[in-house]
Amino acid sequence: MEGLIQGAALVAAPDVLLAIFAAAVYGLVIGSLPGLTATMATALLVPVTFYLSPIAAVATIITASAMAIFSGDIPGCLLRIPGTPASAAYTDESYAMTRKGQPELALGIGLWFSAIGGIVGTLALMVLAPSLAEVALSFSTFEYFWLAILGLMCATLVARSSPVKAIAAMLLGLLVSCIGMENPAGTPRFTFGSPDLLGGIEPIPALVGVFAVAQVMRAMLLPDPPPLERRRFGSILSGQWALTKRYPKPLVRGNLIGIIVGVLPGAGADMAAWISYATSKRFSKEPEKFGTGHPEGLVEAGAANNSALASSWVPALLFGIPGDTITAIAIGVLYMKGLNPGPTLFTENASSMYALYLIFILANIVMIPLGILLIRASTRVLHAPRAAVMPVILLLCAVGAYAVGNNLFAVVLVAAFGCLGFVMERNGYPVAALVLGIVMGTMVEQSFVTSLIKSDGDFLPFFERPISGLLAALTLTALLWPAGVWLWKRRHGRRLPAGRAAG
Amino acid sequence: MHLSDRVTGAVLVALGGLSAWGGSRLPAVPGQDVGPAVFPMLIGFGLVGCGLLIAFGIGHSFEEEEEGSAPGWLYGLRALLPPVLLLLYVLLVDRLGFLLTAAGLVLVMALAFGARPRLALPLAILAPVGLHLIFGKLLRVPLPDGLLAAPW
Amino acid sequence: MNAMSRRTLLGSGAALIATPLAAPALAQPRWPARPVQMICPWAAGGGTDAVVRMVATLLERELGQPFNVVNRTGGSGVVGHTALAQSAPDGYTLGIITSEICMLHWQGLTEVTYRNYTPLGLMNNDPPGIQVNASSPHQDVKSLAEAIKASRPGQLKASGTGQGGIWHLALAGWLNAMGLKADHVRWVPSNGAAPAMQDLAAGGLDFTTCSVPEARAMLDAGRARSLAVMAPERLSVFPNIPTLKESLGVDFTTGAWRVIVGPANLPAEVVRVVEPALGRIYQSKEYQDFLNSRGFGGMYADAAGTARHLEQADKSLGDAMKAAGLAKS
Repeated sequence: MEGLIQGAALVAAPDVLLAIFAAAVYGLVIGSLPGLTATMATALLVPVTFYLSPIAAVATIITASAMAIFSGDIPGCLLRIPGTPASAAYTDESYAMTRKGQPELALGIGLWFSAIGGIVGTLALMVLAPSLAEVALSFSTFEYFWLAILGLMCATLVARSSPVKAIAAMLLGLLVSCIGMENPAGTPRFTFGSPDLLGGIEPIPALVGVFAVAQVMRAMLLPDPPPLERRRFGSILSGQWALTKRYPKPLVRGNLIGIIVGVLPGAGADMAAWISYATSKRFSKEPEKFGTGHPEGLVEAGAANNSALASSWVPALLFGIPGDTITAIAIGVLYMKGLNPGPTLFTENASSMYALYLIFILANIVMIPLGILLIRASTRVLHAPRAAVMPVILLLCAVGAYAVGNNLFAVVLVAAFGCLGFVMERNGYPVAALVLGIVMGTMVEQSFVTSLIKSDGDFLPFFERPISGLLAALTLTALLWPAGVWLWKRRHGRRLPAGRAAG
Repeated sequence: MHLSDRVTGAVLVALGGLSAWGGSRLPAVPGQDVGPAVFPMLIGFGLVGCGLLIAFGIGHSFEEEEEGSAPGWLYGLRALLPPVLLLLYVLLVDRLGFLLTAAGLVLVMALAFGARPRLALPLAILAPVGLHLIFGKLLRVPLPDGLLAAPW
Repeated sequence: MNAMSRRTLLGSGAALIATPLAAPALAQPRWPARPVQMICPWAAGGGTDAVVRMVATLLERELGQPFNVVNRTGGSGVVGHTALAQSAPDGYTLGIITSEICMLHWQGLTEVTYRNYTPLGLMNNDPPGIQVNASSPHQDVKSLAEAIKASRPGQLKASGTGQGGIWHLALAGWLNAMGLKADHVRWVPSNGAAPAMQDLAAGGLDFTTCSVPEARAMLDAGRARSLAVMAPERLSVFPNIPTLKESLGVDFTTGAWRVIVGPANLPAEVVRVVEPALGRIYQSKEYQDFLNSRGFGGMYADAAGTARHLEQADKSLGDAMKAAGLAKS
């Protein structure tokens, strides 16, 4: 309790509050610009943290990343240009809502359920950190392998297209992830002698390319769309309250999935969003509405997204293991400021720990009013002339891709992936599955190959360990379930009324 | 660029074959039984399989017909303008500097979208300046100066 | 905030006006007359980035011009190392290089070697440790070494970084020094030290050979134990961990080091100014506190000493890579 009060005093310092507010605005703006991502927002903040006190420095990172994850949904919803690999999972859904004339509702879902997810995730972090850390530490490469396969299977579930093409797109993404020497063998693959390709293809330029540039390319061919109806949308929050009451189950499930997947280093918020969107569709009473602008999946994925962000700090704070790129950057800042990760941070530095928790909660609360302002402002983009919006988006893609590593090759990649995304989209291949493949590729290969090395080529250990056995069973069930249903329907289909058989 | 499923399926089969072949030629790693070849080969075979299924139209029934009519072939080339401009940006930005290159990119794009000069010209000046302020000044990203250095 | 407003990149004309009129030499302005760029080949937030930013901040204070860190990432370090080697040797682009520069060329991944740089100062060296799971039966490195000798080739598994990475070479070199083959212990490639330490704690590995600071959080958490460190003497931050030599009698040392350099043929004037400045920085309380807080190993050498260190490291890493079959002959 004493620690909590001291922590509160640390957070209440004017420089910390100012840092939280400034980082909130910064994170919201950077995240909401098409082509710029939460990771980039955090990475570009690092030099600034040099001039801040330890708590203020960490506060900027926490606040900016939480804000940017939420506001990354904005360009996805309004322009079909997702800001993070996580929001790629449900971009099509929220864009469909925009086209139905409900952009504020779709964005409000992102805001409200992200804030809830963030706060629930933080509470989980406070109460369960030690036991959650046990979960993370019980995951060896065998468990990661099954988890990665589960994640890949989401590709077929989230896309409204032929499952074969979804799998093909995902395999293409996995193939892209083979490029470079960042593979278990440390051997350069498919680099064609280019030093730029040695490090492989990062998900960010690929994401920006297949969504943002491809969208600009499509716009080149289409006539100006009819302007959206200009009507004042009611209170953003009241609509959310109704949704909260309507979809309590997806909300709880999204939070749980977020906390559990987020705590596993390397899986993080990206996978949490994909898995929760897929489960939401799987267990929904009206799965046929998914993809047509249906809020249910957004509720679950939005909550999962931000609760994963909070719980990904558990392994980072306790063991110095980064859960994703954002916490990797944050760990660097923690070390720099003398807040070395480790259990001693919880015991010897308890007041700082409580300060971190409070910053998390504060950030998620500040997000709501600032987010509403941003939503109101950003929906104006829909009324701006396309000839003014599209050129700026393209320029943002170039600058944003360059800014991550100060490497012009990233801009070339953005252009190339733009063409690829354009062609794929035209022919019914879901680009989101491609992004999933690129994001998950390293983890799939790494966990598969290292597990085989550890077991001397034996497949039995993939099933022997308790958790990996459980995950294996889950994966195989999910894999065989559709086939089983199909067979069962074929045998019993005629006896059932037509309507039931479809469900 | 709307191609038939036979064409895209065949492309996937070819790509899968190439990656399996390319993967199989990768050198083994001393001291390891599982080398760099395994993963590309698995993916390659998977792609060949998917490509064949697509080429023979399996799973097509799940797809929704795309809305809108296909534009003419020549008109379709317009879609290549954004990636071409990005490549030009890469080639020119170090020589001309960020402000000039970005202004050119924005101007061409705006005109291509049918903007009047009254909109395009101010946009081509304001957008690069604004982004330079955000990235160059605030975030300390080293945007090249080239011929025209930013006055701040 | 102050430093940010000072960071204004002025055109050369504007710079002349901005230079205080009191500056004496008109024909040849003393270096540095304008902001200096420092290239870091690794991403922001990592260990190398932290070191170069610390050095840049202190150089700025010593020499009175902004030193701006630019992260040129990509290509497993190749992109940034190459950009630094190919930059104009006018003293306005300096940077940091890491052990990888003495490894990448042996693998045939780049033409750039340590000879393409002007060494200015060695700022840090992290020796590898040998870590086991807390529940491992091995209490000291002797017991582990005997278990390794008694094991079948490939039976024991170790990790710490990717295939052919610096910690893999540390293992190979250690095994060699014990008279074993470099692949007697199977290397499990990992995506850096943190996942390897996690896998060690999850019971998936027998030991890791990453650096002690990288293992620190797990050591503090009581999940892992460090048995020895492959350094000439004990680390000041971890005085309880014995060296390999004192506990096993095997004299093998290596490390991941970080060196401040400029491109080759840097003007002597620049070297004359930077070299002593780096020496003063290394001695400064700020830099020592920084090293201690992150657990980084301190090691300093002046320009000539750094050149010798680079030459030696290039040879020993090359030998280890050849022994492990990782070098392209």
